[in-house]
Amino acid sequence: MSRDAVPAVIELADVTKVFRSGEVSVEALRGVSFAVREREFVAIMGPSGSGKTTLLGILGCLDRPTEGSYKLVGQEMSALDETRRARVRGERIGFVFQAHNLIPRTTAYKNVELPLVYAGVPSAERRGRVLQALASVGLAERVDHLPNQLSGGEQQRVGIARALVVEPSVILADEPTGNLDSASAEELLTILGRLNEEGATIVLVTHSSEVAEHASRIIRFADGLVVADESTERVRSAAPLGAVG
Amino acid sequence: MTTLLEHSRIALASLRANWFRAALTALGVVIGVASLVAVTAVSAGAQKEVADSIRRLGGNVIKVDGEFITVGIRQSATDRTITPQDIAALSQLPAVTATSPHQAIESIVVSAGRNQANTWLEGITPTYSDVQNQTVVRGRLISGADVSFGRSVMVVGLDAEQRLFPGESAIGRTVRVGSQEFEVVGVQARRGALADENLDNRIFVPLPIVTRVLLGGTNVVHVDLRVETEADIEPTIGAIEDLLREQHKLPDSYPDDFSAEDQARIIREAQRATTTFRVLTFSLGGIALLVGGIGIMNMMLVSVQERFREIGIRKSVGATPWKVQMQFLIEALFLSVLGGIAGVLAGIGATRLIGVFAGWQTIVSVPSLILAFSVSFAIGIFFGYYPARRAARLDPIAALRYE
Repeated sequence: MSRDAVPAVIELADVTKVFRSGEVSVEALRGVSFAVREREFVAIMGPSGSGKTTLLGILGCLDRPTEGSYKLVGQEMSALDETRRARVRGERIGFVFQAHNLIPRTTAYKNVELPLVYAGVPSAERRGRVLQALASVGLAERVDHLPNQLSGGEQQRVGIARALVVEPSVILADEPTGNLDSASAEELLTILGRLNEEGATIVLVTHSSEVAEHASRIIRFADGLVVADESTERVRSAAPLGAVG
Repeated sequence: MTTLLEHSRIALASLRANWFRAALTALGVVIGVASLVAVTAVSAGAQKEVADSIRRLGGNVIKVDGEFITVGIRQSATDRTITPQDIAALSQLPAVTATSPHQAIESIVVSAGRNQANTWLEGITPTYSDVQNQTVVRGRLISGADVSFGRSVMVVGLDAEQRLFPGESAIGRTVRVGSQEFEVVGVQARRGALADENLDNRIFVPLPIVTRVLLGGTNVVHVDLRVETEADIEPTIGAIEDLLREQHKLPDSYPDDFSAEDQARIIREAQRATTTFRVLTFSLGGIALLVGGIGIMNMMLVSVQERFREIGIRKSVGATPWKVQMQFLIEALFLSVLGGIAGVLAGIGATRLIGVFAGWQTIVSVPSLILAFSVSFAIGIFFGYYPARRAARLDPIAALRYE
C-alpha cells in the first residue's frame, strides 16, 4: 500500500510562528510544511531553539500559527478560538510531557479519568475505559496510587494512559524520556512502539537519536525549518556516512 | 451537572490539602457573618422587647413629671409642682380616662428580718393598676380603702420578694421601711423594665404614706394619665401643658416646670442608644466580611499562581477556559460558604451568650440566617471571580512551562 493512500492526520502548509515582545520579534517557525499519516510514528529532532517545541505547541492546538494552515484530520485548526481548541485537545490529542505530567495529590485513576470528565463522558462508561488504559501501560495494580507514590517511569506511563484514554487521533510526546533512567526510558519507548503497532499515530519530539530510532520516520529541524525528512530505514543506511542526531 | 460535581470534588480536595490556610482565610467571613447574625438577633430581640414593654405597661399613657422648685438652697422631694389641685384639673381633661398620681423614693434600703434590699418605693393609688397594667400573681393590689385609711400594707415586685424573702412567699410577712412596718398583701406580676429601670424590684404602698408620713407633704412628682386612643396622646399633651402653665401661673418667659411625655416614646427612645451601638457593630461585621472577601481573593490568587502547571495540564487534556474558571470559582465559593456556615453557627452561639450574660432578649430568625448565608455566597462569587478569570485566561503553553 502506498503511503499517499493512507489518510493524513496532520497536514501543515507554510506554517510560520513569530513571537513578538515589544520591538523584538523572533521567527520560531519560518514556513513548515509536512503531513503525518495514520499509524505513523514520527520523531521530530533538532537542537534547542530549532523550533520543535513551538511546532509541538501548534500541533497540540495549545498555540496558533502566525500564518499558514494546520489541518487535524482534515479540519482547519489555525482559526479556532481557545474554547474550541480546548475541546479538540481533549478529544483528538493525547499529550505526554517531559515531567510533572500528573496533577499532584490526585490518584492515577483520577488523573487518567480527567480528559473523559472534561469531554463529558458519562461516569458509568469512564470507569471501564480508565481501567483499560491503565492496564495497557501495565499499571492495573497502581490505580489508587498518588503521583508521589509512583516512580518516574510509572508516572510517565500514567501520562501515556491519560493520553490514550480518549482514543486520540494523535499522541504528542515532548521528550517523554527526558527525566527517566535508561531502563525506564526503554520500557516507555517499547510501550509507545507497541501502541503504534496497535494503530496509534505518534509524534514525538526529542533531541536524542537513540530515542528517535524507535520511530519509523524522522523529521529534522534547524532554525525553524525542516532540513530533513526520512524514514528510519534510510536513516540507518545513511548512518555510516555520518548523520548526526 | 457531572462536571459541576467533579469541580466541587476537585475544589474540596484542593482545600483539604491546604486546610489550615483555608481555615485562616475563611476566618474573616466567619467573623463577619457571625457578627451580622448576632447583631440582627439582638436587634430583633430589642424590637420585640419594646413592643412587649409597651403592651405590658399599657399603651396610650402620658407621664407627667414635676420638677424641683428650689426655695433658696433648700429643696425637698415634695416641693413639686404637681399639687392635688393639678391632679383634679388634669383628670377633667377630655380624653383622659384614668389619672394615677404616684410618688417614688427611688433608692431606699428596706429589710425583712435579716434580709436587706435596696429597692424603689412607690406610693400609689388604685388607679395605678389600671393605667400601668399592674396585676398580682399572689394576694391583692393596693385598694381604695388602703389609701383612705392609710393602711401600712405593701405590694412587692417579684425581684424584691426574692431579695427580701429568698425562696419564700412574702404574703403576710412584714417589711420594715425606716421605722415603719408594712404587711405584704400582694406580689406584683412580672412587668419587666421601663427604659433601664427594673419594674420588678419595686415595692408599692398607699400613696399618702409616702407623701405624708415618709416625706411630709401633699404634692407628688408623677402623674400618669391614660387617654382613650393613641390619637389623643398628642393633643392631650398640648392640653396638659396649657393647663399646668395656667395652674402654676407661669409667665410666658418662664420655661415649663413639668414635663409631659408619651410613655411608649420613652421606651422607644431608651432603645435608640442601643440602636447606635448596633449600627456600629453591624458596620464592623460588614468590614470583617469585606476583609474576609479580600483574604479569599488573595488566597485564590496565590493558589492560581501555585497551580500554573496543574492548570496547564488541565487545559491540555480538554479543560475549556469556562471549566477552569468554574473550578476556581467553586473553590472560592466553598471557602466563603463554609465560612458562612461556620459564621452562622458562631453567630447563633454568640447570640446565646449575649442572651445569657447581658440578659437581653434575642431572636435568631430564619430570614436573617438566609441573608447571612447569601451574603457569604455573594462574597465568594465577587472575590473569587477575578482569580478564577486569571486562571481561565492563562496561556496553556506558558502554564505548562511553569516550574
